[in-house]
Amino acid sequence: MEQYTPTIIKGEQRQDDEILAKTPLDATSLGGDSSVIIMELLQRFKVRDVMKRTVISIARDTSMREAQRIMRENRISGVPVSEDGRLFGIVSVNDIINALDNGWIDDKCEDHMASNLVVLEAGMPLAYALRYFNNYTYGRFPVLDASRKLVGIISQRDVMKALLYELSVEIRKLERKAARASSNTPEQATSENYFRKEFAVVHNDLGSAGRAANEIKQILKERKIDRTVARRVAIAAYELEINVCIHSHGGILTFILDDNTITIKTKDRGPGIPDIEWACRDGASTANDWIRSMGFGAGMGLPNSKRVSDKFEIESEVGKYTKVTCTFNLGEGKEPGK
Amino acid sequence: MTIADVVKVLNGKLMAGDGASPRAVGAVVANDLMSDVLLFDADDPLLLTSLASDQAIRTAHIVGAMGVVVHNAKPLSETMIKVADDLHIPLVSSPLSKYDACVKLHDAFEMEKRG
Repeated sequence: MEQYTPTIIKGEQRQDDEILAKTPLDATSLGGDSSVIIMELLQRFKVRDVMKRTVISIARDTSMREAQRIMRENRISGVPVSEDGRLFGIVSVNDIINALDNGWIDDKCEDHMASNLVVLEAGMPLAYALRYFNNYTYGRFPVLDASRKLVGIISQRDVMKALLYELSVEIRKLERKAARASSNTPEQATSENYFRKEFAVVHNDLGSAGRAANEIKQILKERKIDRTVARRVAIAAYELEINVCIHSHGGILTFILDDNTITIKTKDRGPGIPDIEWACRDGASTANDWIRSMGFGAGMGLPNSKRVSDKFEIESEVGKYTKVTCTFNLGEGKEPGK
Repeated sequence: MTIADVVKVLNGKLMAGDGASPRAVGAVVANDLMSDVLLFDADDPLLLTSLASDQAIRTAHIVGAMGVVVHNAKPLSETMIKVADDLHIPLVSSPLSKYDACVKLHDAFEMEKRG
């Protein structure tokens, strides 16, 4: 009988767990406390950008012993069972241990593989993958394309490696930007009360959408901003946040509080609005049933934001971006909805 | 009418938040479209909705609602309950339909007015 060496695989798993335990990325807090850069990355990167595309797989009639050999030689802790791109199951280290224990190591893998699988789709944002790793105990997920064909496999280590690399790139960019800024005249905050915060808004993540608006409402309450104004600001923030979440590829919401004004700005990464005048009309909507089932999509987002703002600006370039700016004068009492 | 009264009137169950607040509900908005709720202009409203999602709670927080009632005993997700606890919004589940809940709340308000 071939010698089984579980140490390599065990070591690999432990390392993954350690990396994950040390990282500040807590999937449950995505959208809230994570930094804008990390949120941006998790949203910009799709599962397909990070997954391993070369998938070592086996056929259904491969023996468990052969699966064990393949896993050991390739130093992998799980191998998908697939034929012509169709995924049937996964054989993991645990399955091999059980096979050795119970004497079915020479059986076909289709008799002992896990066939009730949790999979990811190639087009999903990386944020979803992280959430899956948080919600399930699996060390890896097979990745399917839109036609349900197996196109890759993703492990926690793949995600961490990609994130660490991209973070270092982003940090270098920020450092260069900071160096440039310090050599020019820096943008001065106009007063002691100046406060600015950015929130990343993730496409289709309705579980988190609204967090920014809730936090902004809280900040306004703590700073004792007039209740009517606070409410109007929160309404615009909420509508714009939902808009970016459901209609765009994702973007940033910025909240700026100054002596005389409050500004809520959103800028997304497209797809842009072809007819802005139409989009600002009451009831103009491109929302689907899913969005409507969440209580939105009645075509009131932009009109509502405009209604509550003292100044409303929108610009958009199809295929590129939409930028909305709502400004509120402090000390003037425009009633919401009027 | 406080949240505790609302729970009683609607045969409801408090699922999250503090149900013992002495503050009175100022108005009721019964709606499933959150953009409409955002434009409902009244102090201390109570949101009555069939939308059993985080967004109902977040909307309630934005408009300063006293609480959220989800009617028809719609199942409430754990995240909805957590968001309600985090934002300190009392969340009530009621077995009544939206119409019946509205009638009961209206009657209770009238009773209160008459003393």
